[in-house]
Amino acid sequence: MKFQAIQGEGWLLTKAEQLINWGRSRSPWPFPYGTACCGIELMCALASGYDMARFGAERVAFTPRQCDVLIEAGTITKKMVPVLKRIYAQMAEPKWVIAVGACACSGGVFRTYSTQQGIGSVIPVDIYIPGCPPRPEGILYALLKLIDKIEADHPLYKQRPKLIEALEAYK
Amino acid sequence: MADWQIDLIKVVFIWVWALLIAVVMTWVERRASAMMQDRLGPNRAGPFGLLQPLADGIKLFTKEDIIPERARKILFILGPPLFALPAFSAYAVVPFGDKIVLGGKEIILQVSDVNIGFLYVLALGAIGVYGMVIGGWASNSKYSILGGLRATAQLISYEVPMGLALLTIVLLYGTFSLREIVLQQQGTFLGFLPNWGFFKQPLGFIIFMVAAYAEANRVPFDLPECESELVTGYHTEYGSMRLGLYLFGEYVNMGTLAAITVSLFFGGWGLPYVDMSRFLGPVSYGIASFFVFFLKQAFFLFLFVWVRWTVPRFRYDQLMGLGWKALIPLGLINLFITALLVQLTT
Amino acid sequence: MSLKDRVADILGKDLVALNEFRGDLCIEVPKGRIVQVLAKLKEEGGFDFLSDLFGVDNLDLYAKAAKKKKKSQEESEDTGETKGKESVQPRFEVIYLLLSLSTNERLQVMVRVPEDDLELPTVTGLWKAANWPEREVFDMFGIRFKGHPNLRRLLMWDEFQDHPLRKDYPLEGKGEERHLNYDIA
Repeated sequence: MKFQAIQGEGWLLTKAEQLINWGRSRSPWPFPYGTACCGIELMCALASGYDMARFGAERVAFTPRQCDVLIEAGTITKKMVPVLKRIYAQMAEPKWVIAVGACACSGGVFRTYSTQQGIGSVIPVDIYIPGCPPRPEGILYALLKLIDKIEADHPLYKQRPKLIEALEAYK
Repeated sequence: MADWQIDLIKVVFIWVWALLIAVVMTWVERRASAMMQDRLGPNRAGPFGLLQPLADGIKLFTKEDIIPERARKILFILGPPLFALPAFSAYAVVPFGDKIVLGGKEIILQVSDVNIGFLYVLALGAIGVYGMVIGGWASNSKYSILGGLRATAQLISYEVPMGLALLTIVLLYGTFSLREIVLQQQGTFLGFLPNWGFFKQPLGFIIFMVAAYAEANRVPFDLPECESELVTGYHTEYGSMRLGLYLFGEYVNMGTLAAITVSLFFGGWGLPYVDMSRFLGPVSYGIASFFVFFLKQAFFLFLFVWVRWTVPRFRYDQLMGLGWKALIPLGLINLFITALLVQLTT
Repeated sequence: MSLKDRVADILGKDLVALNEFRGDLCIEVPKGRIVQVLAKLKEEGGFDFLSDLFGVDNLDLYAKAAKKKKKSQEESEDTGETKGKESVQPRFEVIYLLLSLSTNERLQVMVRVPEDDLELPTVTGLWKAANWPEREVFDMFGIRFKGHPNLRRLLMWDEFQDHPLRKDYPLEGKGEERHLNYDIA
C-alpha cells in the first residue's frame, strides 16, 4: 500500500502548506519604501481610519531583514535604483513587492532621463497599483490581492520530493 | 508523587505560563495600541485576531534564515537565546501563589524558594543585556553595535537605582527571599492600609518602576532599538525566528518585571483586607492565590503597554541625566531614611 | 537715488548692460570680473544674501533669433548694411540672484559663458551658500567653477557622462543606467 497521505495532493502536505499560507497571509509585515507623495498615502493607509494593521500588516520596520512586503511608494530615480535592488536583495525569502502609484509602475509623468520607467524592470513586482497617487483604499485592495496570492502559493513545492522520500523511508 | 516530579511539573507549568503570557502580550500590545490610536488592530486571524501571534510565529519560522556574511556566526546565533533565557530563568524564584494541598501534600507555588532570590533576579536581569550586546556586536553593523552599546550604558546606569530601591525593601523585611517578603506583606499597618511595600516605600516603588522600564527597554527608554535613529537597533540584522526570539524575550522580560513588582510592592498573591485561606478550601485557595497574583501581574503588564503608547522617547542625554542625576541621589536618600527609620523602630 | 543709479554708480565700467523689466533689475557683467563685481555689490551695495545661482542654456533661442533675422534680411535685400554686425551671443548664462536683507531689494547679475570656455571663478569665498548651486550648475550644464572646494555632481550620479539640462540633450536621456558594485571585500 502506498502512503496515501503524501501522494499527489496528499493530506499531510496540503495541510502543512495551508497552515504556512495561513500564517504568512495573516502577517505580511510591510517595508515602507516611500520616496514621494505615494508615501503619504501609505502612511494614511497605516493610520486610523483605514488601518492596514487589521490584516496583520503591522510592525513597520525599516530593516529589510524583518519585513515581508516591500511597498514601493513613489518615484524611483535612476540614481536610486541600486539602492532599491540592494534593499530587495537584503529581504529574506519569501518576499513580495507592491508597486504603489503611477511612478513606481511606469515612471508616471516623469518620462525623463533621471527617472526609472517603472520598477518592474529592476525587481520582480507582485501587485501594481495605478493612481497618482492611489487612495489608501487602493493600497488596502492591493494588500488583499497579495493575501489572495499568498494563499494560492505552494511553499513546500520544492521540498515535496524530498519529503515524500523521507516519509517513504520512515514507513 | 516524588518531590522531583512535583518540581518538574511546576517548572513546566510556569514555563508554559510565562510563554503564554508573552504570546498573549504581543496581541494585547497590538490591540491596545490600536485602541489608543482609534484603530481596530489585527482582527483577521481567529476571533478578535487572537491567533495573530500564532500567524506571526508560523511566518517567522518559515522565513529564510539570514546570517550576514561578515557577521560573527557563533555569537550571532548565540545572541537571541542569551537574551530570552535569563528572562525565563528569573521566573524560577517568583512566588506565583501561596500553597496548594494536593493528596495531603503541601506544595509551595514557587519553583524554588531560594533564600537569595533577590540577588538572583538582579543578576539575571544583568545577564540579559549580554544577549543584546553580543547580538549587536556580532551583526557587524553600525546600527546594531550602537544599539548594543546603548543597552549596556543604560543597564549600567539603571541597575544602580534599581538596586538601591530594592535594598530598601530588604531593609524593611529583613530577608532576601521573595516568598518571605510576600508573606510579610499580608495584613494591614496603621490600621487601614494594606501592609504592602508600595505604601511603605512609595518613593522606592517609583524609582523601581522607572528603572524597570529602562531594564525592559520599553518606551520611554527604548533607546537600544529606537527606530528614528538606529533603524531597529541591536536586532537590525536579525530576521526570521531569531528576531522572534528577541521580540519574545522582551515580553517575557516584561512579565518577569511585572511579577517582581507585584511580589515586592503589591503583596504578591494576597488580597488586601481579606484572608482568602479562611473561607476557601486548601485546593481552591491555591488556585485563587494564583489568579490574584496573575491579575496583579496583568495590570502591570498592561501598564507597560499603556506607558509605551502614551509617552514619547527620551533623548539619550536625558536618559543618562535622569539615571545619574535624579534616580541615584533619590535612591540614596531613600535608602538612608529607610535605614534610619528601621534602626529607630526596632 | 534709485537702485539702478546706485548699481551703476558702484560698478562703473564693469556694467555691460542693464535691463529693467517690471521692476526687476537685471545687470550683465563681464565674465572675468564676476567675483570682484559681486564682492563690490556685497560690500558697497549691501546685497549680502545670495538667494540662488543657476545656469541657462540659450542654444535654441539665439539660433532661432539668428534665423529670423536672416529671413527678414533676405526679404528686404536692399538694406544689407547691418549684415555681419550682429555678433553671436555666448550660449550659456549664469545668473546670480542677490538680495539685500536690510533694504529688501533684489538684483539679478548675469554672466554670459561661451561654449568654448566653460569656466567661471567660484563665489563660494563670498557666500558659502553658493557651494551646492554651483555644483548643480556644473552637473546640469557642465560649467566648471574654478576654485570650488568640492566640484562633484550634485543630482546625477558620479559616473554620469552628460549634462542633462543642456538643450541638445534628449529629454528621455541616452539610456544611461546606474550600476553599483558594492565592495564586499
